[in-house]
Amino acid sequence: MLQKQRARFGYFLVLPALLLVVLLNVAPLIQGLILSMQSQNLIRPNPGNFVGARHYIRALTNDPEFWSSTVNTFYYTLGSVVFAYLVSLALALLLNLDIKGRAFLRALFLIPWVVPNVVTALLWKWFYNDQFGLANFALSKLGLISAPIQWLSTPSMAMPSVIAVQVWKLYPVMTVVLLAALQNVPREVLEAAKVDGANPLQRFWYVTLNFIRPSSMIIVLLAAIWTMISFDIVYLLTGGGPAGATQNLAIMVYTKAFWASQLGYASAIGVLMMAFLIALGIAQQALGSYFSKKAGEHV
Amino acid sequence: MSSIKLTRRESILLTLGGMFALGTNGVNAQGQSTLTFWSVRLNTPELQAALLPILAQFEAENPGIKVSNEPVSGNLVYPKFQAAVQGQQMPDVAEAYSYHPLQFAALDQMAEMDDVVADWESSGRLADVVNEFAYKKFFWNDHYWGVPYNLDPRAIYYRKDILEQKGIAPPTDWESFQAAVIAAHDPANDISGLAFPAGNFHITQHFFMGFMFQAGGSILNDKGELVFGTEARDANIQALTYLTDFATKHKVTPEGVGGWDTPDAETYFTQGRAAFGMGRGALIGQIQRENPTMFEKVGVLETLQGPKAKLTAGFYNPMFVWKFSPQLDAAKTFVRWFTEPGRLQPLYAANPGGLWPIFKSEFDSELTRSNPLMGEMLTKVIPFTTDFAYPGTGIPEMGVIDGEKMFAAPVNEVVVGTKTPEQAIDDAHKKMAQLWEE
Repeated sequence: MLQKQRARFGYFLVLPALLLVVLLNVAPLIQGLILSMQSQNLIRPNPGNFVGARHYIRALTNDPEFWSSTVNTFYYTLGSVVFAYLVSLALALLLNLDIKGRAFLRALFLIPWVVPNVVTALLWKWFYNDQFGLANFALSKLGLISAPIQWLSTPSMAMPSVIAVQVWKLYPVMTVVLLAALQNVPREVLEAAKVDGANPLQRFWYVTLNFIRPSSMIIVLLAAIWTMISFDIVYLLTGGGPAGATQNLAIMVYTKAFWASQLGYASAIGVLMMAFLIALGIAQQALGSYFSKKAGEHV
Repeated sequence: MSSIKLTRRESILLTLGGMFALGTNGVNAQGQSTLTFWSVRLNTPELQAALLPILAQFEAENPGIKVSNEPVSGNLVYPKFQAAVQGQQMPDVAEAYSYHPLQFAALDQMAEMDDVVADWESSGRLADVVNEFAYKKFFWNDHYWGVPYNLDPRAIYYRKDILEQKGIAPPTDWESFQAAVIAAHDPANDISGLAFPAGNFHITQHFFMGFMFQAGGSILNDKGELVFGTEARDANIQALTYLTDFATKHKVTPEGVGGWDTPDAETYFTQGRAAFGMGRGALIGQIQRENPTMFEKVGVLETLQGPKAKLTAGFYNPMFVWKFSPQLDAAKTFVRWFTEPGRLQPLYAANPGGLWPIFKSEFDSELTRSNPLMGEMLTKVIPFTTDFAYPGTGIPEMGVIDGEKMFAAPVNEVVVGTKTPEQAIDDAHKKMAQLWEE
């Protein structure tokens, strides 16, 4: 009896936190799904009218802006995650060595992670400025360019420039995770491989990478999710321009919801984004299982 | 003596209840109304410092009404107001951007302001308004949904010393302006002919607007119908070509203008690196603060005479009242009081050039007499200002066209080379036309 009372009391204490989770996560999700099937055009009467799949059909079949934003989103995500992973892996391998100042370097490499995104965007906007920016100043002093590069105002350069910023933001947390994974690679396995005649590259490829694969898969998936839903850095750097070259789905959702007063359509795009993310997660799981099986076959 | 024993559960419930009671807003014992007043354009430290005494004066003259001002960031204005509409927590009264009253009127959230406009008419104040479009832009579906209370102009500034040095007279029309910009362009001395923002930002469409009207183009006709890519297509293409040619054909602008926002162009001009610069009225204050030695060398260009008209962009910003305000009468009392001529002079002084009165009788002031650039703006720009919907009155769709930067995109696309002016105008028209299909 007393135990039952205690259990009920425990549930009662947990209830506020549970309500908060439901209110902040589950309820908006359900609300978004409902909104995506209503008109919710805020410059027309009866915004609550049910329209079914009309917004989804519009996005998928009748809105070139949706598809260009989707392509930009995948471009941005793939570019950021791949380069961030390569940079992080290199740094993690370096920090895994017994070098002087390792602790200081570890702290230094974390700085981008702690800088707020708004500050990041402003800093990099100044860095890329064609008139006053450090990038063009340094490159021209080194004699590498004769005229300023229009980093953010040339359609072909804008997305790579934005990707560079996202790489800068992502690499610290990816480095930390990969470093932890590297430090758990059993030394005896590496030494056994060495004894068997494997060179450093072979040891890295067949031993180290295999052992850090689970952590890599997780951090790559997380980085991909963060990047796919990323809004603030891109929006502050370019506004989605020039000429839509950097407009991703997050910016499109924001613009449609708040500047175009089309909450229903924006919600539908948000749901489609969620579908892309779920697909990404499933693909990652499938890939992970495949590699695990392969690794198992080799053992 | 009996003692009250509480279980642990009862203690926690009592504590939570007490905290809730402390957190709730109690009813004012004196029966005072408290108006929530959201301000979007009065949020700099200087403007807030000027605004609060004005509000205190209102409270002193209207005991029984308190005004609680909440500044709202311009970047958050749409999310905040939309969330307020959804949650039915709109402010009693607000001042914000051009088309907010109409957008919220479309959602049946706005109180009609016909009575306030009628008062203005009977008192002669309506005839004193700088331009009839200043108040007609808020007329939709047979009612007024807001009243204008300030004007935010766009102008072309120029360096008098550079023009004098090169023997160039201040231009007055398209032909002489183009010639002057080209002649003044001096990259050897780090002087660009013209600085203007052409990035994918709202400000870009403000400057295009002026040239659009000057060419006889527009977004709407006088019946409020969309004509951007139809009847007005040729004129809009002409205006777009004229403006973008400075960057793409004559190459007399800094190379990065395709990514520029408001501060980029204004800062570039303030630094003395352009002979001509397009900027807001607030550029006057910026030059005074940041490059005072250049101030006397700067002039405001007379609004250009275009092929068809002599007009420029000027935004008549509104005050509006929430239909479901429990203090509707007090809110309208506040709007009437706040918009009285002469009331807001401290605001204009706090942001020289950035905010202008809408009543002609207020134009001749100590501020405009003592500040040469403001004096020039008064005679050369203010009388020629008009707003987005010209020659039509306002419609809610204009809020979306403005919000989605639908006519900034053409400028940006042509300057960065992804579209021709014809393609850009046609694509922008298709996007705008979709609004009427939904």
